[in-house]
Amino acid sequence: MQTIKLKIKDNVTSGVAKIPVEVDSLTPDNLVGKNEAEIKAVKVWWGNKEENTGDLFDVSVDGSAGSADEVKIVLDGDLSRVKRIGDGMTAGEIEANGDVDMHCGAMMSGGKITVKGNADCWAGREMKGGELVIDGDAGANLCAMYRGEMTGMTGGKVTVGGNADECVGQYMAGGEIVIKGNARMLAGLNMHGGKIVIEGDAVMPGADMTSGELTVKGTVRDMMPSFKLEGTESIDGAEYKKYSGDLAMTARKAKGTLYVR
Amino acid sequence: MAEVLIKNGVVYDPLNGVKGEKKDICIRDGKVVESVKNPKVIDAEGRVVMPGGVDIHSHIAGGKVNSGRLFRPEDGRKGVEAKTKVCRMQSGYSVPNTFATGYRYARMGYTFVMEAAMPPLAARHTHEELVDIPILDNAALPLLDNNWMTMEYVKSGDMDLLAAYMAWMIKATKGFGVKIVNPGGTEMWGWGKNCSLNDSVPTFDVTPAEIIKGLAEANEKFEMPHSIHVHTNMLGHPGNFEITKETYDLVKGIKPEKDRQVMHTTHTQFHSYGGTNWGDFESKADVIADYINQNDHATIDLGSIILGDTTTMTADGPMEYSLYQITGRKWTNHDVELETGSGITPFLYSGKSPVNTIQWAIGQELALLVKDPWKLALTTDHPNAGPFIGYPIIISMLMSKKRRDESAEDMHKVIYDRAEYCSIDREYDLYEIAIITRGMAAKALGLHEHGKGHLGVGADGDVAIYDMSPEERDAGKIQKAFLNTKYTIKGGQIVVKDGEVVATPDGKTYFVTPECDDTLTDEMMVKLKDKFDRYYTVTYNNYAVQDAYVPNPYEIKAPWRS
Repeated sequence: MQTIKLKIKDNVTSGVAKIPVEVDSLTPDNLVGKNEAEIKAVKVWWGNKEENTGDLFDVSVDGSAGSADEVKIVLDGDLSRVKRIGDGMTAGEIEANGDVDMHCGAMMSGGKITVKGNADCWAGREMKGGELVIDGDAGANLCAMYRGEMTGMTGGKVTVGGNADECVGQYMAGGEIVIKGNARMLAGLNMHGGKIVIEGDAVMPGADMTSGELTVKGTVRDMMPSFKLEGTESIDGAEYKKYSGDLAMTARKAKGTLYVR
Repeated sequence: MAEVLIKNGVVYDPLNGVKGEKKDICIRDGKVVESVKNPKVIDAEGRVVMPGGVDIHSHIAGGKVNSGRLFRPEDGRKGVEAKTKVCRMQSGYSVPNTFATGYRYARMGYTFVMEAAMPPLAARHTHEELVDIPILDNAALPLLDNNWMTMEYVKSGDMDLLAAYMAWMIKATKGFGVKIVNPGGTEMWGWGKNCSLNDSVPTFDVTPAEIIKGLAEANEKFEMPHSIHVHTNMLGHPGNFEITKETYDLVKGIKPEKDRQVMHTTHTQFHSYGGTNWGDFESKADVIADYINQNDHATIDLGSIILGDTTTMTADGPMEYSLYQITGRKWTNHDVELETGSGITPFLYSGKSPVNTIQWAIGQELALLVKDPWKLALTTDHPNAGPFIGYPIIISMLMSKKRRDESAEDMHKVIYDRAEYCSIDREYDLYEIAIITRGMAAKALGLHEHGKGHLGVGADGDVAIYDMSPEERDAGKIQKAFLNTKYTIKGGQIVVKDGEVVATPDGKTYFVTPECDDTLTDEMMVKLKDKFDRYYTVTYNNYAVQDAYVPNPYEIKAPWRS
């Protein structure tokens, strides 16, 4: 087991402009087998400049690892301008102690990311597998597609401890999302597979969905008129109304399921 | 004096009748010459040598191409290449950025590309993008068919005034010739409708047939290098082959001013459809090819399908809306005041779809059934039927019956019943490929007289050296060779070496100046200025493209026909 601690230097994000750092190169896959000096030499983008990790982060390495599974990366400091944490990772673990910027866990296919704070927009974008846990709130387009694409998350599991912003799981095709708090407008927009559970409230859930399952345990505001009530069902001892839709996508395509209390 | 000698190449130069001869090519100061004294020597070592490619119809610059880029961020994720010491950053597949457009064409051995649809009002934008495209020489065809002035003159029958208007517009837009796209139909689209060849366009009371005929007559009043360039009515509708044939007949009696066609019809694949709906849709490429074989006044380009995802874009607004209704994908639409319009929607051509399979067959059938290759040019109507980087796929298909049979096995079985594709044995040779990728296009555009598309003495020093022997029969190797040249030489300068771009000189913009009588122009101007005063959002004085927008000009004068 190897633990790599990366603490962002104060001067990196203390400037007026708050230039973002992109750390898609700092994944267990890429850092496994590297010693401290080698990790310090890994390139990361800071705005439009390519810098050494060692120039932006204090690096310390403890233990050794034979494969990416055995690597844990711990990110500390002000991470609010650190983007693409764990982007494309396939194995191992990343722990981010604080709020993180956009695209955390985008394209990841394995391993685990824990964010001990809030995550900005596009967390879990086009995620294929693995686990993403966000203790705080998630920004808009959680687990959605890249702009213009027609497939979002296809696998893996995402848990948000707080609330989520608009368009949770847009174009989602597989995998599972659990939101402990509320979700803003259009959760499950264009969803065509997978499962979303919103334990709090939701607004206009399931618009344009053609497949998959969406459950709202709290209150639904502005229920889409284009869903058809199929009956009631009991989930974990509670009664839910079961709807199919979205009929706005034509009756032939409306194969989505929406559970509302 | 910059001199280049290309030795030991096997040269295919159709405009000069050179058919695979071992021949040296000498270039001095960017032009082909008889001999050189102290040249940089390039040993072609028995490889295939052709003049720089000429693309007669492609959408590479202007408002709708740029809208396509903005509208498809997902397309921009493909084809990303970081900048190098020579090249700027590249991105995009069906709507590549300007840099990628120039580099990729040059890597395929092309040195001239015609932007096939320039809305006159967006001419500045089009020229700005043409300037931004590295390496390629270029030109653009302004859209003049759905224009209110055009329709009014066609109605009143004032052909001389129509010619004066056409001349003024080509000059004002620094354009190259007359482009016609779904004549009448794009104006009708302003009313939510479309029209066919003999339908009357309300408010103007003219038919598309009259518009086409009128513009063909106006075009031939000058010594224009190119004929009218026509996207016929009812593109992409089953059964449209009859309309296509009828369109050809319209201009049969008009005498061309120069030794060329009277009408070039573009992306003919989209206009050779049989059947009455998508269920009984079938190929009528044989009927269209028969017509072209029997008549000499019309030429075509293919608009051949490349399977996969692409971005369709055309001034044919109603067609894009029909396509959007089929796919349900995103769609955007634009009206260009009193001139034209446009639409854009993404499209996936799939070999599993019977319709797409037949479209695939039609594009290649046209090339195989038209006997004289001087009547057709290779295009994919980039990006409508597929991106231009698919040209090598089509070349390898045309050159190998075996490859076509293999491709048919992977496609929908309708290819065996509703198309002739599998029963045609013809295989193109390299000479014929050279005709449809450079010689014919240069001749149809009249650019052979200006040094394009051939390697005779005085021609531009634009040469493509393909990394293959003339005996090569392996379709995969042919495709690979045509995708990335061993060398591309542009104006005597090596721009591509071993498939890599090594220099990025600026291309020239070719434009035509039709010379019209002042009295006629003055008379026309009264009506035109009234249009500006009453309808245009810009003023007459701010309309014409200034010289500064064409920093590398090549002017072709087109005198009034005496």
